[in-house]
Amino acid sequence: MRRNLRLLFLILVGASLFGCAATEVKPWERGQLARWDMRWDPDPSQTAIANHAYFSKEGTSGEIGAAGGGCGCN
Amino acid sequence: MKAAKTVLVAGFCLAVTMTAQAVELGAAAPGFTASTFDNKPVSLADFRGKVVFVDFWASWCSPCRQSLPMYDKLAGEFPTSDFAVIAVNVDEEVTDGKKFLTEHPVKYITLQNPQGDIPKAFGLSGMPSSYLIDRDGKIRQRYVGFEPTDISALKNEITRLIGKPADAS
Repeated sequence: MRRNLRLLFLILVGASLFGCAATEVKPWERGQLARWDMRWDPDPSQTAIANHAYFSKEGTSGEIGAAGGGCGCN
Repeated sequence: MKAAKTVLVAGFCLAVTMTAQAVELGAAAPGFTASTFDNKPVSLADFRGKVVFVDFWASWCSPCRQSLPMYDKLAGEFPTSDFAVIAVNVDEEVTDGKKFLTEHPVKYITLQNPQGDIPKAFGLSGMPSSYLIDRDGKIRQRYVGFEPTDISALKNEITRLIGKPADAS
């Protein structure tokens, strides 16, 4: 039992040490991540227009993701 | 149990060797040879005896749009017998670097290193990064990131290093 626990401990330590080291993206390897289409929101202008249409049609303010009041007249 | 310990030690050693170590100030600059975009081989050793500014850049690096023209101007302000700028492009797609240079042409030497072994040898911690190497081939300054205001301090340091003969800096 004690031996198994030690083995488990070693495996956990090993996994925590090497699991992350193998997947690190170096600063000079960020070309793919820097691509325009990798952005969380690739077209902020289009998103702003879509949000405006959404909250105007729905009669809400606060756009999406937040509750809000208001007359809904914009 | 013994086997598990062996695997753990071996894994640790592997992880340590996989981690790029940043070169220390005062240490010898890692030697390298790479091709220009015209496929001419260039070595850092070719510039021994001169003060060399090595700049790592990429087409996707926004500050590089500012830094490349400023380094190009900087290169023209010192005699070529004393000072050289060597830029290392780290784009994984060589065509991206070429396109960037067409839009932002520079007169200094620009090498391509899509495999990334040169930045790994220098242990870059960010992009863009640059290194100022003295006449003896030792790293004297390391710059991470770029601000246009950094240029005047860089000029002063280049002037200081040029003023010192080899084996005296």
